[in-house]
Amino acid sequence: MDRNQIIKWLRQPDKMAQKYSLWAIYFCTGCGIIEVPPVITSRWDAERFGVIPVAAPRQANLLLITGYVSIKTLRAIIRTYEQMPEPKYTVGFGSCPINGGMYWESYNTIKHLDKYIPVDGWIAGCMPRPETIFIAITHLWTMIDKGMATGYKKYKGNYKYYRKNQEKILGELDWPPLYPIRD
Amino acid sequence: MNKSLKEELESNFKDIQVNIPEDNRLIINIKKEQVLNVLSFLKGKGYNRLVLISCVDWVKIGKFELIYHISSFENGLHLMLKTKIERETARFITVIPVFKNAQTYEREIWEMFGIEFEGNPRLIPLFLDRWKEGPPFRKDFDIREYVERTFGVTSRSQEKEEKE
Repeated sequence: MDRNQIIKWLRQPDKMAQKYSLWAIYFCTGCGIIEVPPVITSRWDAERFGVIPVAAPRQANLLLITGYVSIKTLRAIIRTYEQMPEPKYTVGFGSCPINGGMYWESYNTIKHLDKYIPVDGWIAGCMPRPETIFIAITHLWTMIDKGMATGYKKYKGNYKYYRKNQEKILGELDWPPLYPIRD
Repeated sequence: MNKSLKEELESNFKDIQVNIPEDNRLIINIKKEQVLNVLSFLKGKGYNRLVLISCVDWVKIGKFELIYHISSFENGLHLMLKTKIERETARFITVIPVFKNAQTYEREIWEMFGIEFEGNPRLIPLFLDRWKEGPPFRKDFDIREYVERTFGVTSRSQEKEEKE
């Protein structure tokens, strides 16, 4: 461990612990997932950065959206995101979750992911290289340090807005609201 | 191989056009009444694999073109049976009696192009999730307008027009 970090560990142990134990959930949307197997295996080895993939949303706190999001997938993404324990972070990977990308003029892919769930960071590109995942993760470390990665608090605070947008696309949602909806 | 099949088809059926664009490929244009006959004839010849049914929307002449891709494992020939049906009524008969796996392909075409296949027992939504609009693959379906209305986005060109 870096000698300079000891003071950080003593001051805010919770943030340091959150930083170095990001558990990414296996969630494949679109084509970007093809970059993730080399990232988590020996070629780039994401465990150096404390990122380990897990299978269940109840154990994860990092959600990587890897590629275009169709309307059917959005339903699964919202359910997955709501099941994850706090603190949780979302990173959009590739240009499609940002604004639709090359699927802008498509009848069944959503255009702006951050209307439906909060997103802490974006990785631009089509496709981004696997290294960009590590750049994003080190950015996320900085954001956690400074208390800027507050997507899950935003979701709680503006739940009415998010729920309204979700209902606009998906129609009647068949699960109860995660937080009470206040006016 | 393909030349003998061409002669055989032309001698057996009327109103049939056979083109040979490549060595192991045949394009067969037929009338819509003949589809079942030609398909069962070819199946008896050993072309017993229906690869795909595809559809083209010729909106200017008011027709749908259905293309039945058929191949054989024995000689590797790829046949494309093309037929045109009316766009207005958009009804056709099913080919399930000849090829059973046509069911899913016809279901997809029913969903994306809105063509009703008489005799298909299971025309229910396949890919689209709670879809309320018209069939999205038809040429007169305005995707841009749908995207702007549903997802609340505006295109760059429209923004420019508004500024001017």
